[in-house]
Amino acid sequence: MNDLLTPEAILPNLKAGSKKQVLQELAKKAADLTGQHERAIFDVLVERERLGTTGVGRGIGIPHGKLPGLSNVMAIFARLEKPVDFEAIDEQPVDLICMLLAPEGAGADHLKALARVSRALRDPLLCDKLRGAESGDALYALLAQTEQVNAA
Amino acid sequence: MEAINEMIFLAGLLLLLAILAGRISSRLGAPLLLVFLGLGMLAGEDGPGGIHFGDFKLAYLFGSTALAVILFDGGLRTHTDTFRLARWPALSLATAGVLITAVVTGALVCLVMGVGWKEGFLVGSIIASTDAAAVFFLLNLRGLALRGRVSATLEVESGLNDPMAVLLTLLAVTILISPAGVEPLHLLLELIQQMVGGVIFGVAAGYALVWLVNRLDLADGLYPILALSFSLFVFGGAQAAGASGFLAVYLAGLILGNRPHKADRLIRRFHDGLAWLAQIGLFVMLGLLVTPSLLGPYLLSGTLVALGLMLVARPLAVFASLLPFRFTLTELTYISWVGLRGAVPIVLAAIPVLAGVPNAQAYFAVAFVVVLLSLLIQGWTVGPSARLLGLLAPPQPEPPSRADVDLPDGSGQLAVFTVARDSEAAKRGRGKLIIPESVQLLALIQNGRPVRPEDAHRLQPGDTVLAMGDGSALAVMDRLFGRKVDTFDEDRPAGDFQIQGDMPAMAVGGMYGFDAGDDPTQTLSDLIRRRLGHDPSLGDRVRVGEMELIVVSLKAGEAEVVGIDLTPPATGWAGFRQQLQAYGTRIRRRLSKPRHRQEAGGD
Repeated sequence: MNDLLTPEAILPNLKAGSKKQVLQELAKKAADLTGQHERAIFDVLVERERLGTTGVGRGIGIPHGKLPGLSNVMAIFARLEKPVDFEAIDEQPVDLICMLLAPEGAGADHLKALARVSRALRDPLLCDKLRGAESGDALYALLAQTEQVNAA
Repeated sequence: MEAINEMIFLAGLLLLLAILAGRISSRLGAPLLLVFLGLGMLAGEDGPGGIHFGDFKLAYLFGSTALAVILFDGGLRTHTDTFRLARWPALSLATAGVLITAVVTGALVCLVMGVGWKEGFLVGSIIASTDAAAVFFLLNLRGLALRGRVSATLEVESGLNDPMAVLLTLLAVTILISPAGVEPLHLLLELIQQMVGGVIFGVAAGYALVWLVNRLDLADGLYPILALSFSLFVFGGAQAAGASGFLAVYLAGLILGNRPHKADRLIRRFHDGLAWLAQIGLFVMLGLLVTPSLLGPYLLSGTLVALGLMLVARPLAVFASLLPFRFTLTELTYISWVGLRGAVPIVLAAIPVLAGVPNAQAYFAVAFVVVLLSLLIQGWTVGPSARLLGLLAPPQPEPPSRADVDLPDGSGQLAVFTVARDSEAAKRGRGKLIIPESVQLLALIQNGRPVRPEDAHRLQPGDTVLAMGDGSALAVMDRLFGRKVDTFDEDRPAGDFQIQGDMPAMAVGGMYGFDAGDDPTQTLSDLIRRRLGHDPSLGDRVRVGEMELIVVSLKAGEAEVVGIDLTPPATGWAGFRQQLQAYGTRIRRRLSKPRHRQEAGGD
C-alpha cells in the first residue's frame, strides 16, 4: 500500500483503552501527518461509526471517512498493545486497525483504496504476521508487500 | 400366517436398512432420496432381495397417501413470511410454468420416442411438477442456506405445483382414452374447480383444525393423530369432490403451522417423523415397483428426455413465468437447475397404467429414468451449484439450544443452555465470560455431572449451563453460548463493511459516493426495497454505482444489517466466468490446506 501508507503512518504498539480513544489517537496521528484539524478528523470517523461499526470481524477494524480539504487518500495502520472492544460485528475485541481518509471528491479512488485494505486484511496469514511483527518497519514491509502481490 | 409375519419382518428390515443407508450416504453427500430408491430397487425383483411387487393400484394408493403426509408437513414447515415472499412467483411457476414444461417436454418426447402429440403431452405432464419431498428435503439440508427469495420460491413452488401436473396428466389420459375428445372450455372449468376447490378445502380445513386443537381437551399423544386424520380427511375429501387434495393439504398444513395453538411442538415433532417415514416408504416402494431389467430399452430415450427437461424445458418455463418478478440472471439459472423431480412423476405415471392407456408401461419407464437422473444430477449438485452461482445467503448467527422454564412466582426464568461449538463460551471459558449482572449461573453440567460454576474454569462444547434471570437478560446470553458468525466466509459474502438498514440512505450514499435520491427520510432498507421491487430477503443484492448492497440480516421485513460489497462480481457471462475461477481457486485451496481453513475459522 505504498501509495496510501508511509512508514511514518504506522503505530506499532498503540496504547488505548477504548474505541473512542483509538479513534482519538488515529485522528491525532492523521492531523500530524496532514496538517488537518484533529477534531474534524475525529468527527468524520465517529460519524461513520454511527452508520454501523467498522469492526469487520476477527480483530480487524477499518475506520474510514471523507475529509474536505485533504489532498489525497491516506491510511494509518495501528496495532494495539491490548485489544479493545470495537463493537465489532463478531463482538470480538479489535487489535489491528487500518484507518483510511479520503478527500471529499475522491469518488472511485476512495472505494478502490477501501477495497484493497479490506481484501488485504481478510488474509488470515497476513494478520498472523502483522500480529507477530517485531517493529514498525516490519509492519510497513509486510503491508507494502501485500499491495505488490495484490496488484500483480 | 407365515407370509404375514414375513411381510412385517421385511417391512421392518427395509425401514431399518433405509435409515442406516441414509446415515452412511449423508457422509458421502449422496442424495438421500436416491439412496432410498436404490434400496427399493435392490430389494426388488431384479436385485438380491427378489421381492415381486407390481401392484400399481396399491402403489398409487400408498403413493398418494404418502404425498399427502409430505405436503402437509411441508405446509407446517413453511413460514408465513416465506409464503408471502414467494407466493406470486411460485404461483406463476406452479401454473404457467408447469404448462410450459409439459408442452415443451411433450414436444421433445414426440421427437425422441417417435410418438404422437397426445402421448408426448402425457409424458410431459407426468414429469412437469417439481417434487415437494425432494425440494423441501434438499433445501433444508444443514448448512445450505440460500438467498431468501430463491429458496422461498422453490419451496412454495413445489408445494403448489402438483395439482396442475395431476390435472394435466388426467387430461392427457382422458384425451387418449376417450375417442370423442375434450371440450377446451370444459377443461378450463375443471382447472378452476380444482384450484379454487383446493384453496377452499385447504383454508377451511386449516382453520377448523386450529379451532379443534384449541377446543378439544385430548391426551397429548392424540393431537398429532388428530392433525394426521384431518389431513387425510381433507386430502381425500377434496379429491372426491373434484378439488385438488394436494393443494388443500398443503394449505391446511400452512395454516396450522402458522397459527398459534396449544399443540404446536407435539404436532411438529410427530409430523417430522411421519414425513420421514412417508419419504422412506414412498421411495423404497417406488424402487420396488419398477422392474430395472425392463428399463433397458428406455434408458436412452429417458436420458434424452431428462436432459431436454433440465436444459431446455425447465429453463424456458422458469424464465418465461418469472419474467415479471425481477429475478437476477443467476437466480433464474439456479431456479431452473433445481427443478427436482421426485416421487410425484412416478406416482402420476401409475395413472395411465391404471387407466389402461396403451403402452403405459413405456411412459412409466421413461418417467422413472427422468426422476432417477434428476435426483442424481440435480439432487447431487443443489449445494455446489448454489455456491458456484454465489447464491448462498450471508451467515446467520446460530442460537444455542436452550430450554426455558418459567418460575412459578413469575419473577423470571430458568434457562438451560448448551454450549455450542465455536461459541464465545467455549473459547473463553467460564472465568472470562462477561455475564449480565441480573443473570445468575446456578450450575454447570459437564460429562453428565453437576459442577458448581465457581469450580468450572473451562467450558466444552456440549456442556450444559443452568442460569436464572429475566427473559431479555437471558436472550443476551444466547450470544455467548451460540455459534458465532464467520464474517469472512468466502462462500457467504456479507460485504466489506456493514451498515444498519435503518440509517438514512442519503448519508450512506454521501459516504460511499452513490446516488440515493433526495428524500432525507428514506432509509437504506427503503432504498433496497424500492430498487428490488419486492420486500428485501436474505442475501438480496442491489447495485449502486460501482458497488453492491447485500441484505445481511432481516428484522420485521426490513433489512436490519446491510453489507457493502466494494468489489461485486461482474454481471452476465463475465461474472459467471469470474465466479467459476474463484470457485476453482477456493476448492483447490481447501484441498491443499484443509487445516489452515479450520484454524482460520476457529479463531
